Amino acid sequence: MIRPLLMLCAALLAAPVSASDLTALDRSTARQLMADASQGQPTIVALWSVECTHCKKNLQLFSTLARQHKNLRLISIAAEPEGSEHARILDRHAMPAARYAYGSDAPEAVAYAIDPNWSGELPRSYLFDGKGGKQKHSGVLSRQQVEQETGLAPRR
Amino acid sequence: MTALRPFLLVSLFAFLLPLTPARAADEHAQHAPKAMKKRIELGSAAVFAPDGTLLTVSKQDEHVVLQRSADQGATWSEPLKVNAQPEAISADGENRPKIALASDGGILVSWTQPLGKPYSGAIRLARSDDGSSFAPPLTVHRDTAEITHRFETLQTLPDNRVLVAWIDKRDLEAAKGKGNYRGAAIYSALSTDGGRSFLPERKVADHSCECCRIASALDTDGALLLLWRHVYAPNERDHALARLKADGSADSVQRATYDHWRIDACPHHGPSLVVDAQGVRHAVWFNVKDGEGRVFYGRLPSGNESRVDGQRSIGGPRAAHADLALNDDQLAIVWSEFDGEKTRLDALVSRDNGRNFEPLSLASTEGAADQPRLIQHRQKLYAFWRTEKEGFRLIPLP
Repeated sequence: MIRPLLMLCAALLAAPVSASDLTALDRSTARQLMADASQGQPTIVALWSVECTHCKKNLQLFSTLARQHKNLRLISIAAEPEGSEHARILDRHAMPAARYAYGSDAPEAVAYAIDPNWSGELPRSYLFDGKGGKQKHSGVLSRQQVEQETGLAPRR
Repeated sequence: MTALRPFLLVSLFAFLLPLTPARAADEHAQHAPKAMKKRIELGSAAVFAPDGTLLTVSKQDEHVVLQRSADQGATWSEPLKVNAQPEAISADGENRPKIALASDGGILVSWTQPLGKPYSGAIRLARSDDGSSFAPPLTVHRDTAEITHRFETLQTLPDNRVLVAWIDKRDLEAAKGKGNYRGAAIYSALSTDGGRSFLPERKVADHSCECCRIASALDTDGALLLLWRHVYAPNERDHALARLKADGSADSVQRATYDHWRIDACPHHGPSLVVDAQGVRHAVWFNVKDGEGRVFYGRLPSGNESRVDGQRSIGGPRAAHADLALNDDQLAIVWSEFDGEKTRLDALVSRDNGRNFEPLSLASTEGAADQPRLIQHRQKLYAFWRTEKEGFRLIPLP
């Protein structure tokens, strides 16, 4: 009995991330997600879209960092309703399973719940160090900046 | 904290899904909140015909459709398919179908057709001579590469000329492996027969931003002006203004804004432009300036000046997608702004060439909203605003 279970676990661990579905966010779940993201451990919330060329650079950087730092929690939010390409792009960048997209709620309201001071430019990233520190950035980020602001590397 | 945290939920599903038989997974799919639900793409445009009929174009599945209202938007005709053969159509806020009337009265409708590859598209245009049916759409550019030709602007001109300009990545593609090409390029194609055919396209400028709408307006002498978000070295996403020659090529290209927003990002937030009788260029645009993202109004430099006159922020910190229009001495700006509960449509009106403005509150919606536009008929300005809950809305300005 134990042996098949172990095998199953091993198979699950080895399986590529293929959570093809993105979870839909409305304004209340978005607000909750951002509140929770600030708690407990270094966390990145990465907003992106299929059409945003610059976003893919951040996704790649974040997923590399998440593989290197096991305590880094990485959450992606597509700032649009899920389409056929989202999961494929996230898979290509080996983004973990915490994948979200805008749901049927008004996009203006979801965006406001994420951050009332964000004007919609992408990529948009929120870096939490797990100790109450929070930084927000628009645009492509450097590895050094992300490691420092998530507390993964000491600040200079 | 009783509610399950969203990312905990996701981790749980990710863990459970491989264990669950297909049927259970299907059931789960029916009940879980899926992002897959298709949202209506609200991107649309409107224009008044000379007889006062309001014409709109919007997307319905794989068709651009034309609808008419003889009563200022109270009731609408059945949709008329602009493209008889279905095709993919872009209809989000920055990349929506457009409509304009050629000087011979023909109805012109343009749109971007996304192609297979990411970011790719073709600029399509269809013409109707009599408004009852459209000729098959044509692609306005000769370049057939499956690359970016998107975010078109459509401008009709005197003498039955029509100019279409768009964001084009052929130069970026050509530069691959040869160094860094900033952003994309602006190309334009000219028609001299009311949109029935187009001359070979010309490059207007290198190094535009990649995904913001382009604004167009006529200068006092009839020359066409284009205003777009540019990428100034190394990565300042300010705006550039081009004056075109009669053949559609660039006569001059100059920097138009000086906010110095240095960023590698997609703002998805293009400008708008009008020229008054004295030749002053009034514009609205979005930029992050001094760390704050705001919609701005200002009078753009002409000649060799390098400053914007009368620059001021419009609305609050969430003001978005402003448009402006001019009617005699009335300069109006509309924009949308989410206030935490609903999206408001607000306006500013100036009677002194943009020195002082009076605020107006025009409408609001609790659902999703398209970008607002200002349109004109018989010396009167109207805001045209499509909202998910209310549909097409036409709001006269006082």
